Amino acid sequence: MRNRRQSIFDERESWQGPVAVSTTLHAAFFVLILMYGAYLSHLPHESWGSATASSGDALSVSLVSQAAIPLPRPAVQTENIVANDSPGLTQSKPKEIPVPEPLAIPIPAREHTRKPEKIREKIAVAAASTIRDTYRAPPPRESNVVPFGRGGPVDIPYKVFSLGGSAAGIGTPSDSGFGSRYGWYVDVVRRKVSENWLKYEVDPAIQNARRVFITFDIQRNGQPENVQIEQTSGVPSLDVSAVRALQRIDTFGPLPPDYSGRQVSVEFWFEFKR
Amino acid sequence: MSINYVSSGRQSFDDLCRVQASNTVTAPAMKKYFSALFVLLPIAAAFFALAPASAAQTDWIRTGTGLGVERVRIAVPDFKTPSTSNFSQVFDQTLFNDLKNAGIFDVVSKSLYPLAVPGSPAEIKLDAWNAEPVNASMVAFGSLSSGGDNSSGTLTVQGWLFDARNSQSPQVLGKQYSEPASEESARLIAHRFADEIISRLGGGIAGIAESKIYFVRAGGRNKEIWQMDYDGANQKQITRLGSISLSPRVSPDGSRLAFTTFARGGPDIAMYSLELGRMLSFPRFGGANLSAAWTRDGSKIAFSSSMRGDTEIYVVDSSGSNPRRLTTSRGPDVSPVWNPKTDAQIAWVSGRNGLPEIFLMDADGAGVQRLTEAGYAVSPSWSPNGQFLAFSWNRKYGPGAPGGQDIYVMDVATRRFIQLTHGSGTNDFPSWSPDGRHLVFQSTHGGVDHIWSMLADGTQLHQLTMSGRNSQPNWSFK
Repeated sequence: MRNRRQSIFDERESWQGPVAVSTTLHAAFFVLILMYGAYLSHLPHESWGSATASSGDALSVSLVSQAAIPLPRPAVQTENIVANDSPGLTQSKPKEIPVPEPLAIPIPAREHTRKPEKIREKIAVAAASTIRDTYRAPPPRESNVVPFGRGGPVDIPYKVFSLGGSAAGIGTPSDSGFGSRYGWYVDVVRRKVSENWLKYEVDPAIQNARRVFITFDIQRNGQPENVQIEQTSGVPSLDVSAVRALQRIDTFGPLPPDYSGRQVSVEFWFEFKR
Repeated sequence: MSINYVSSGRQSFDDLCRVQASNTVTAPAMKKYFSALFVLLPIAAAFFALAPASAAQTDWIRTGTGLGVERVRIAVPDFKTPSTSNFSQVFDQTLFNDLKNAGIFDVVSKSLYPLAVPGSPAEIKLDAWNAEPVNASMVAFGSLSSGGDNSSGTLTVQGWLFDARNSQSPQVLGKQYSEPASEESARLIAHRFADEIISRLGGGIAGIAESKIYFVRAGGRNKEIWQMDYDGANQKQITRLGSISLSPRVSPDGSRLAFTTFARGGPDIAMYSLELGRMLSFPRFGGANLSAAWTRDGSKIAFSSSMRGDTEIYVVDSSGSNPRRLTTSRGPDVSPVWNPKTDAQIAWVSGRNGLPEIFLMDADGAGVQRLTEAGYAVSPSWSPNGQFLAFSWNRKYGPGAPGGQDIYVMDVATRRFIQLTHGSGTNDFPSWSPDGRHLVFQSTHGGVDHIWSMLADGTQLHQLTMSGRNSQPNWSFK
């Protein structure tokens, strides 16, 4: 009994055979890959961008500073849609109050069973409450939720660019707005606001802050109007200094004489870094 | 240059959504509303047609700070002229200097310009001006012709300002001037064209090329009031009283000049008409009357007077009637100056604490505040936008103290100040230019008192007077 059990435990399965098979197979597979690679490299092919390339020059893209063209805006991330000033994605609705049905018109035959004064009273109360409820319900509000990607007005300065050596280029469309027609006026606005922004009005403890966006209109005579904070930076002193910069400006100079519009709206950001 | 601007209508997108929503009709209702759709479609089409028009009503600019506040790089080639005359040299030089002195331009040196001189919009090749080495963003060019000989005939100038980086619609400005041919009108036309450029590119602030500076020139034992252009040219004597005339102050409309005269004994305020070229009557108040100052609307004059003993600030109407006393404290109160933006505040020099210091009060004498804390501060001048006070200050004043009399500018709201002049000499009597970008002052920098001008940040110093001894400059209001 004891010997038999011992013999069971002494039985060893031979693993040298399977290991040898496995090693051979792996080696064969590896050699196959190498051979395939070597085979591929001898096929006809193009090396991209190399100096000895047989066809196709390297593309060089050079920026030239021409008038900007309004390319489609990039999908800019909205700056924290939860924390900004918009009311949010959902709107609370007023509680619906069930309108009580008006009482039935009394039948003259049964009139004697009820007291007419009370019925008339009830009708009056019901009608009054109906009218009150009707007028208490607020008018439906327009949704002013900022659609995703359109809230943070961060633009990258696009310029006309041309591909070196090739004839293809991107031209400005004929109707390309104020900025491209009167770039110098945009420059004037930018320079003038920057000159009048006194950075020392900002809280000295602030090292850097998010951009504050101010919107205003420039009238025909050049006066800024309707100065408003579109999006605050979260730093009150920076917001105030930005508004003050606009308030210091009496005029940007009249709009270009050949410009037909009545006013120009400006969105101006202030970027603070110490 | 990296600006970006997108002109788009936010409205148009919303309009689009609304129109599409109105066009959405459910399948069962399709038949029922089929005829209605025919009515709806033209309306929707009209809506689409109108949407761009309504979006074009308000153009949008999107820009901001942090893009660099570099000066405008402008090229001013010589104006094309059939024959090089003396006029064209004067004109080119004046225009170049005016733009260089404006303080908002980086004028490209003429040695870098292309050889071809453009005389009209057809001749200019913007690529050449836009590229290295000129690299200008603006080009002011044109043509000059003088009909007839140099003594008679007319001088005609056509000038353009082109945005070199905007190939689509480059013209910013186009002007034509015609004056009788003389060197003075060549200068005048150059000044006017420069002012137009500065006003257009400087944000609506008129240029100062036609402004005047009044100052005191000492000759022998007398001192008379003189006048010159802002760049020191055309110096002319105004008063010929044969006595001592000091502290000229020109009225805001440029028609009258108030100054302090010793012609009738003690110092008194006198009035001179620049249009009539003679003295006007102005009442004598008795005592010593000094340093008149005009309000921006020209209706009142503040001055310091000892008519009732102590030297105090008084205000009279511009005719000299109706005097009212503003200050009451002991000690001298002199050199008042109005806040030109509001006419509601007066800064002045008071010696009530011993040394002269700059004080500030409301126009009725209330709300007195002290602006300078130490040293010896005199002759305030208020900037046209009401934001800054320029004054002369010796901050470390006293026996053996190392201080010097220098020009300082203080932000009135925050009391922060910067020093503008450094180095040798005594600097005094600053006066702001009408555009608020320049200061004129008196300095002994070269040993003798002379009039100097500089940008309001202390750079671009120019000596305006070269002969005699000149002091107490006052820049005209326009």
